[in-house]
Amino acid sequence: MEADVVILGGGPAGMACALRLAQLIDAHNVVHPDKPLTKENICMLEKSREVGQHCLSGALLDPRAMRELLPGFEKEAPLDAEVTKESVYFLMAKGQRKFPIVPPPLRDHGNYVISLNKFVKWMGQKVEEAGITIFTGFAGSELLWANDSTDWDAARVAGVRTDDKGVDKEGHPKANFEPGYDLRAKVTILAEGTRGNCAKALIDRLGLEDPEHAQTYGQGIKELWEIPMGRVAKGEVIYTLGYPLTSREYGGAWIYGVSDTLISVGYVTGLDYQDPRTDPHHVFQSFKEHPFARRILEGGKMIRYGAKSLPYGGWLTMPRIYGNGWMLLGDSASFLNSQRLKGIHLAMKSGMLAAEAAFKAMLTGDSSAGTLGDYKTAVNESWIHDELWPVRNFHQGFEHGRIEGMVSAAIQQIMRGGVFGPDKTNPPGYTCMRRIDDLGPSDWERAPIVCNAKGDGKLTFDRLTDVFHSGTRHDEDQPVHLVVEDLNLCRERCTREYGNPCQYFCPAAVYEMAESENGGRELKINFTNCVHCKTCDIMDPYQIITWVPPEGGGGPNYDGM
Amino acid sequence: MKILVCIKQVPQKDAPLRLNEQGTWIRDDVSWETNEPDAYALEEALRQKEKHGGEVTALTAGPARAAQVLREALAKGADRAIHLEDDRFAQLDAGNTARAMAAAIAGENFDLIVTGLQSDDFGAAQTGVLLAEILGIPHATIIIGIEKAENGLKLKRELEAGHYQYIEMPMPAVLTIQSGINKLRYATLIGIKQAKTKPMRKVAWAEIEGKLSPHMQKIEKLYVPGSQKQTKKIEGPAAQAAKELVEYLKNEARAL
Repeated sequence: MEADVVILGGGPAGMACALRLAQLIDAHNVVHPDKPLTKENICMLEKSREVGQHCLSGALLDPRAMRELLPGFEKEAPLDAEVTKESVYFLMAKGQRKFPIVPPPLRDHGNYVISLNKFVKWMGQKVEEAGITIFTGFAGSELLWANDSTDWDAARVAGVRTDDKGVDKEGHPKANFEPGYDLRAKVTILAEGTRGNCAKALIDRLGLEDPEHAQTYGQGIKELWEIPMGRVAKGEVIYTLGYPLTSREYGGAWIYGVSDTLISVGYVTGLDYQDPRTDPHHVFQSFKEHPFARRILEGGKMIRYGAKSLPYGGWLTMPRIYGNGWMLLGDSASFLNSQRLKGIHLAMKSGMLAAEAAFKAMLTGDSSAGTLGDYKTAVNESWIHDELWPVRNFHQGFEHGRIEGMVSAAIQQIMRGGVFGPDKTNPPGYTCMRRIDDLGPSDWERAPIVCNAKGDGKLTFDRLTDVFHSGTRHDEDQPVHLVVEDLNLCRERCTREYGNPCQYFCPAAVYEMAESENGGRELKINFTNCVHCKTCDIMDPYQIITWVPPEGGGGPNYDGM
Repeated sequence: MKILVCIKQVPQKDAPLRLNEQGTWIRDDVSWETNEPDAYALEEALRQKEKHGGEVTALTAGPARAAQVLREALAKGADRAIHLEDDRFAQLDAGNTARAMAAAIAGENFDLIVTGLQSDDFGAAQTGVLLAEILGIPHATIIIGIEKAENGLKLKRELEAGHYQYIEMPMPAVLTIQSGINKLRYATLIGIKQAKTKPMRKVAWAEIEGKLSPHMQKIEKLYVPGSQKQTKKIEGPAAQAAKELVEYLKNEARAL
């Protein structure tokens, strides 16, 4: 099977790309019935067992891209509520202060509260109806290259290899072994989401990331709660800043009213914190214990859990997004507005613009960078640029803490994104982590955010209880998909220098320093808990953890999330 | 061999189940999957076809979403599919489900019909057996080995406590398959692609309705049992307390 276009990843970016491509082909075939193009050889790979099961977001949808893609989509798409009311609070350890006005970027009237899972499922149906095949349960394990070059000009992506199935934990084939399939394609579109494994390999190989502007990330933790009527209205949006994070960490909480008795509540912690014991899952649990959140949640019931990383860096950290035979979309390519805390519409728009370039490649038979460069040009001329360029320095401004960040944000608001002097640069977030002996005396302020949460089983939970609510499943008899280069380094150097931060940043309790048989401690990797958030790949201070896709179909099940 | 596999779509094993508003069944917003023993039945059917030739047909009864289990079967190698498509099929009891399936395959003359030994949701373990009864052909349950003999089948059944039974029976027949009889295969990319063009016959409720028994099952109430732990303390001298305990176990707890 040889494909014209392969879309790797069935999230909002990939789905929008597939739909727009189908529309362009249909329109072409009406005008040129003599030279029709076929959709037969366009396909999408998605690692989850069913469409949408690995999609996780708050979520608020800015309908701009969808209105362009499917005018009138509101009538049939699964939208939970239109935003009717928003408020922003600053939380102190005791008490809170309401912002007198909602800062303009956080005004959400006209946006919709959605379940990204349900929304993407619906988009998946549209894609299938349009005649494009979605292969669920297939991950892209690596890219296929047409040559050995590592030069952007000369290198060419020739498709993607899918994951091997039926391999046991020693790496030997089982009786039902099914080797990965080399899916050759003229155009390979990477829409894997944050820190996609193929996108990471591509960015590394071709050196696409600007070291002055490394991608920065956050980790979002989300729970769905059923709560008594009358606390949060359907369509109500609440943001909080402050507690439990201190002025040195970046992040905040959201509460969205899905219905009058169902809310989405979550917390994003910037993955550029200093204290290696910081546990974003604990941050969220402590937030729920704050009287402000407790009043909303108490007596309610947590029904679902999920965690995912997101790219914060915005326009300045965007890698090169096209080359010979490939394009990068959505979260894989930094299409997220961290000031508005929204990326779904940008991901979709990036997919739509990439579809136009892919369509041109199908028409002309030329899928080189010369043709696919149209995608970048189109992004630069689109409202993506208009939206992201003015906020390009937003997250970077927070690098030295909340106070400087707020001042910087205010200056940018006035100067249309500019700052005094050149644009801000930023190193990768993991380099901000300090060694244990560098931290100084234990800081009482950080007690609610460091080390693992114990949970009371009602309002707060430990990670294993939460993971149970993520519906995560992996076949146990398969190789560990979190590849750690050097376990000795974990045991010796990392224990000494950073105290094994993987035990804290993983929201699914995958990493555990356990007593080993010969007395010492060693890293135990409970990979079957993994919710595919990629935080370990991002935040490990030595960068020796590589997240590779487990056997297709494994992972969380974010149904309804 | 012309083989039919009956497959049910059931809620995913560890899906969080919540009652619907009327308290008559679970809410529909869970993930669904192929009933596990049915997946083994399908695998066994495909292996028999590979060994002896013939064709494999997959059948399910349930709402539109249930077509997913048929697409999976086709992707793994089934040749065609039959979908009894209606919400009402999902609520039938085992007897009427068997009647509906028998009606849908009238005139097909399968040599072998396989299905899982029970479903992961209702767990009645009756549908396969009743189907055999209605079709008037023999059946065997809890099968963990199938071999084709000259004029029939050699079968291995799983009994209690590690015992097995080896039997022979003629065809056509219905077999209900135990999980673990084989190693399930994966659907391949090519298989999924080819599945799209394989025939799927839809059977509507109206075509079947007349063949069903008018005595329909109706679920009145479904509920999560409340915890009922009670402690009763019997006091007094030992002999009297023992007597009282025996009385209690006999008459109230009915354990003796």
